[in-house]
Amino acid sequence: MIKIDDFSFVYPGSGKPALEHISLQAEKGELILIRGASGSGKSTLLYCINGLVPHIFNGNYSGRIQVNGFSPSDISIRELSKTVGTVFQNADSQIFMMRVEDDVAFGCENLLMPREEIIRRRDGSMKEMGLWEMRTKETYKLSGGQKQRLAISSIYAMGPEIFLFDEPTTDLDQDGRKDFFGILTQLKRGGKLVILAEHQYEEYMPLVDRVITLHEGRLVSPERAPEYPPGFLQGYGKENEVVISCKSVDVAYEKGETALKNINLEIRKGEVVALSGRNGSGKTTLLKSLAGILRPDAGVVTIFDMANPSLEMISGRVGFLFQNPDEQLFAGCVEEEIAFGPKHLGKRVDVERYLHLSGLSNERGRHPQTLSRGQRQLLAVTSVLAMEPDILLLDEPTTGLDDVHWMHLFSLLSQYSMEGKTVVYATHNRKAAGTASRVVHLDDGRIISDEIYQ
Amino acid sequence: MRFINRDTIFHRLDPRTKIAMSLMCACLIVVLRMPEGLLGLFSLLLVTFTVVRPPFSYVRTLVSLMAIAVIFTVISQGFFYYFEPKTPILTFIPENSGWIGKLTGGLAIYREGLIYGAIQSLRLCCAMVLSMIIVITTYPSDLILGLERIGVPAKIGFVVTVSIRFLPALIDEARRILVAQKLRGLNVKGVRGGFVALRYLLPPLIIDSLRQARRIALAASVRAYTGERTHIRTLEFSRIDWIAAGLSTGVMVFLIFFYGGL
Repeated sequence: MIKIDDFSFVYPGSGKPALEHISLQAEKGELILIRGASGSGKSTLLYCINGLVPHIFNGNYSGRIQVNGFSPSDISIRELSKTVGTVFQNADSQIFMMRVEDDVAFGCENLLMPREEIIRRRDGSMKEMGLWEMRTKETYKLSGGQKQRLAISSIYAMGPEIFLFDEPTTDLDQDGRKDFFGILTQLKRGGKLVILAEHQYEEYMPLVDRVITLHEGRLVSPERAPEYPPGFLQGYGKENEVVISCKSVDVAYEKGETALKNINLEIRKGEVVALSGRNGSGKTTLLKSLAGILRPDAGVVTIFDMANPSLEMISGRVGFLFQNPDEQLFAGCVEEEIAFGPKHLGKRVDVERYLHLSGLSNERGRHPQTLSRGQRQLLAVTSVLAMEPDILLLDEPTTGLDDVHWMHLFSLLSQYSMEGKTVVYATHNRKAAGTASRVVHLDDGRIISDEIYQ
Repeated sequence: MRFINRDTIFHRLDPRTKIAMSLMCACLIVVLRMPEGLLGLFSLLLVTFTVVRPPFSYVRTLVSLMAIAVIFTVISQGFFYYFEPKTPILTFIPENSGWIGKLTGGLAIYREGLIYGAIQSLRLCCAMVLSMIIVITTYPSDLILGLERIGVPAKIGFVVTVSIRFLPALIDEARRILVAQKLRGLNVKGVRGGFVALRYLLPPLIIDSLRQARRIALAASVRAYTGERTHIRTLEFSRIDWIAAGLSTGVMVFLIFFYGGL
């Protein structure tokens, strides 16, 4: 179905080829996994198959690609979309309509199918993808996993034989990933060709027929990624004083937040705590309460001996990192970004040291928003660290990080906790949670387990 | 503020009928000169508003918005009414009180200004109730389809749909950025703080929106979007549409004829 022959591609304005001498063949019913670090060319390879290269990203290319007998450069993206379906990482940006059933129909409407045909395909797709019960639900009310399921269902309705997935489960929790496993099984059983580009693929391996590894745009033979032992981040906090405590804390439901019920928790200086749980379990709500961003409706959150403090009272002593780094990069260049917090707090810090820690010394003059996703995340973390807070709170810090950036992030956190500082992070990722010295597990707004690793 | 799925007469109307009725209403808001006419229009809109059974929170929002509009318009017109003749009812600085009177031209509340302000704010209130009725009763896709059917280009319709869909996310994002600023020690209090906050709010907000826009564009491309599209939803004029359109036309002619002040 897909035949790629000595294909190379260079983005306009870039000296380095994004893909070099790629040759590949794929047949019906296969499931192929593409792995590789950020910027290794995984997405570009998918774009070459679905026609985004060269129709939207034009650049210089050589070699040949054939998809179902056609060259993607010769036919339009619309024509190609009948054969090739693509699902991206961010489910939210793939939903266009307000209601589930309308969104599933959208692709078929664009293919100008007759009305009866659209309805038949729409209903069929929703039934097969398990969306039938929520067909009239508003799309903004869906969970992350359901949104991704909707995105896949919408593509499925268009009837492609080839499915391309560009990091589809990065934003999903364990339940969402299990869901996705089911969908992959179903597609495979249906004889579709599936190409999956993903950082965290371990659990999909039973379905994978072939693994392809990309490194700087070339196909290479695979090597094993580094693994962390559980409790990699050694907390030194067992006998230290308590820095944050929650006593019978309730937080009522707010827009987009899960309510917390009767939370009792003590976090000591120097501990590294992971708040784990699925999406909607209340871990982000708890994290925000620990930072003073949300005030409890009942009970007391004590931060450094202050009961239910306001943001202003603890600003500078508690660092908080939201999930999306891009919402926290304000300055004109990397160096300024790191100096931003200390400057406004009137603290003097060694900016050079933090530049070095972030691994961005060579990029100091660049605009933060022009860095890669992984670099932006590291810069956001370092910019908070530069304020030298006593407590660091992070919401889903590993989202979208490849192995290299992942390792860098945890070595930063490890170094910081060794200085006797406290780290708390919320994560839906099992691997990320397992790295902490203490794991607090939440479900439905309650703490259901609290384990300390020795 | 969004569409509420209910079964009322107004929900059942074809979006094109609603567009036509809104246009007539907008026309009346501008044309009617006599307060009695505007009051009549306003009460008609209020009756419609109760017919569509809005939730209490929407009523509260509407009332507070209208209160703000009325207070500001009446006070500002009361003080700064421009036309003659005008009758001062409460004088703060007389026009002939030395240099300060000359400089300010006098400061007083004028009776004609208050009346004029009341009429203007009535116009604003009409527009508010009208837009709320349309938003509550019309499913966005139907509104877009309606606009398309009366000749608005499909691409513009799609842009509007996508904006409605993504606007709430944008507002949430702006909120998170503001909190992130505070956490990084930025003082955002007072007018000056507000400007500083804005200076550091816009770059990440704009850049992230552009990034999001690009993701949306790619996702639309692979969903075969080119601007050309068949619609699974259909619109049909039924008898109640003809009745509603006829009634509104009648009301419009009546109001203009008797209260237009032409």
